[in-house]
Amino acid sequence: MTADVTRCPHCDAEVHDGDRYCEACGYDLVTGTEAEAQAPAGAPEARWLSSGRTEEVCAGCGGSSFGDEGYCDGCGRRRATGHDHSELDLDVIAAASDIGHRHRHNEDAVGIGLLPGGGGRPGIVAGVVCDGVSSSDRADAASYAAVDAAVPALLDALREEPGDPGRALELAAGAAQAAAALAAGTDPGTNPPSSTFVAAVVTAEAVTVGWVGDSRAYWLPDPLPADAPTAAARPAGEGTVGLTPVCLTADDSVAGRAAAAGGPPVGAAHPAGPAGALVRWLGADATDTAPHLSTVRPTGPGRVLVCSDGLFRYRPEPAELAAATPAGTPMEVARVLVELALAAGGEDNVSVAVLPFPPPVA
Amino acid sequence: MTQPAAFTAEVFQNQYLPAGGQIVDAVVTVTASGSGLSAGGEAPSAAEVIMVDCSGSMADPATKMSEAKKACAVAIDTLRDGVAFAVVAGRHDARMVYPPSATLAVANPLTRGAAKDAVTRLTASGGTAIGQWLSLANTLFAGHPAEVKHAIMLTDGRNQHETPDQLAATLRNCEGRFTCDSRGVGADWVATELRQVASTLLGTADGLEDPAELPAAFQAMTQQAMGKAVAEAALRVWTPAGSSIRFVKQVFPQVEDLTGRRVDVSPRIGEYPTGSWGAESRDYHVSVEVPAGGVGEELLAARVSLVANGQPLAQSLVLATWTDDTALSTKINQRVAHYTGQAELASVIQEGLAARDAGDVPTATAKLGRAVQLAEESGHSDTAKLLAKVVDVIDAPSGTVRLKPKVAGVDAELANVRSVKTIRVKKTEEGS
Repeated sequence: MTADVTRCPHCDAEVHDGDRYCEACGYDLVTGTEAEAQAPAGAPEARWLSSGRTEEVCAGCGGSSFGDEGYCDGCGRRRATGHDHSELDLDVIAAASDIGHRHRHNEDAVGIGLLPGGGGRPGIVAGVVCDGVSSSDRADAASYAAVDAAVPALLDALREEPGDPGRALELAAGAAQAAAALAAGTDPGTNPPSSTFVAAVVTAEAVTVGWVGDSRAYWLPDPLPADAPTAAARPAGEGTVGLTPVCLTADDSVAGRAAAAGGPPVGAAHPAGPAGALVRWLGADATDTAPHLSTVRPTGPGRVLVCSDGLFRYRPEPAELAAATPAGTPMEVARVLVELALAAGGEDNVSVAVLPFPPPVA
Repeated sequence: MTQPAAFTAEVFQNQYLPAGGQIVDAVVTVTASGSGLSAGGEAPSAAEVIMVDCSGSMADPATKMSEAKKACAVAIDTLRDGVAFAVVAGRHDARMVYPPSATLAVANPLTRGAAKDAVTRLTASGGTAIGQWLSLANTLFAGHPAEVKHAIMLTDGRNQHETPDQLAATLRNCEGRFTCDSRGVGADWVATELRQVASTLLGTADGLEDPAELPAAFQAMTQQAMGKAVAEAALRVWTPAGSSIRFVKQVFPQVEDLTGRRVDVSPRIGEYPTGSWGAESRDYHVSVEVPAGGVGEELLAARVSLVANGQPLAQSLVLATWTDDTALSTKINQRVAHYTGQAELASVIQEGLAARDAGDVPTATAKLGRAVQLAEESGHSDTAKLLAKVVDVIDAPSGTVRLKPKVAGVDAELANVRSVKTIRVKKTEEGS
């Protein structure tokens, strides 16, 4: 190590004399503040955050050169792409992600984005969760790439056509699929990086969700009425939502397909084994990647949770999840839900984004 | 991608290691597909040298010489226009048959006719010094700009008129300069000599039981040489710091241990020569010892690619993941197990036949018994048939055999020269 190399006080990546920001984490080297939310080109007002971060230095040998597929050129160790724990806070929306207790990598990626309103026009908020399919190789490469492609694509499309969240979700899923496929590198292999995808767009009128795979979005009324039904809610679909907690997605899994065909209701426990086997995903070997779309019009205030199975495996029923979701700021709520999953065993990576309805006007 | 990839590489392995596990085995299948290759444009330029044994024994029986002449003519007719070629008569020395001077002719209707004419005048007399023939071929190829340089070497006897050291020295001079397929005809050729030539010069070795098979064999070899789309390719293997390569073997279509042929590109990267490629598929078994990782850790144990002119044509990753789930770590990959068996089969046949020649009956019986057992297990019926000419099989599954008291010499040589030929695991037998 040469004497003139300096390191970022926040993430320890190499920085150069005269740099204003750390290239790795965005830390402001002059004022000593953490990364500002990123803004898509041409839209200075839109803001977004994601849990993705690519390690610049190999945890195995300290080397800094990595091949296309994300393995250290020196010792062959896999490059870490995400934090073990992250919290994303844009005040009106927030998200949290944690590696859990059992997994070696946090293969969940989460992103949140905000298109502020103005001139009396309400804002639009969005959340994206991609859960790396742990049976695929280097799943985190797909999930992080997918989120980092999906969130700006979503915001760009919403800025162009705020009235068409469905189109924005399709474009975002397309961008996520392209990025996840590219993450396979030059050698996709027989089991390339794969990920689920779920995104929610909350406008002043509606909540629109798009998904591929078995990550979920839930509608939770806020406040939760004392007499809210405890039985499983009706399956997701078009229409309105109000005082009843509802799962807005239908898992792309063997069990999810069965439920959609009239079997056990969606929202039931996330099954392990073959019944839980994914039937759709994003990645280089994925063929069917158009997102399912569902739009509901809330009749009152509420919150949308976008989450990975690391959370909902412990509270699969919408009513259970609603009962476990406290009042508080989106960041407080996200933290509490991640803690809940960790306390219940933390079997998997856990991620959740919390979006309010209606979105803030300012 | 705008055009279909001509080469693919696919890896077969169990990437899961138990805690403390350090050995990573993988079979990499490299396939050059016909459609992609033909779409790739013009074939590389080629040069062909045919070495035909003209020693005295080729006249006994006379069909050896007459079929060899026919075979040469067929091979000459198979050459594309523009291919540089020569025919060499091999005895205790090597002489030009066509063209008359020590150079390569350019194939066209006129030169092909003249060459076939010269071949008809070949006569059998004199001895056998294969190294002399290869030396002349090496001289003919030297300095010629052809990209694919291929030779055919036919002999009917032992390499009598030079020492094994002389042959070995000549082969060292020829290595990497051209590829050579070696063939034996009649009953007196020596399998180890044919394999030595083919192995060093990245070709195939075989014996022909009937001289009448010669024309078809020569045509097939020449056609394959004309069909080469990539003149020179190497298997490039990257391995991580702290690891060591246990071996790199070609395991299909024949076993060839490439470990000692490594050329270091960098401390992490080595290249192993594979010769030229047409539309074909080959399997490689790569075995790497890596530093043990912690449970849950994932390592790139090797990056295996086929490279030509410094450009990777196809690449595959060999991974290692440590787990405490024994259901995962104890699973044996079917292909790795299959080729481990095929490589053992080749060596026990060779060792068993060598022991038999040396009069060591117990070792020969044990090794050839194991060979019969492995051939049975893997369904290698061609090898099983060859072994049955050398031993009486009492019980194949247990490998119980008795050496046959009388064996035609050529049967043992055939079993030996074909010992390296492997079969692929049948798709239906392959578990997930």
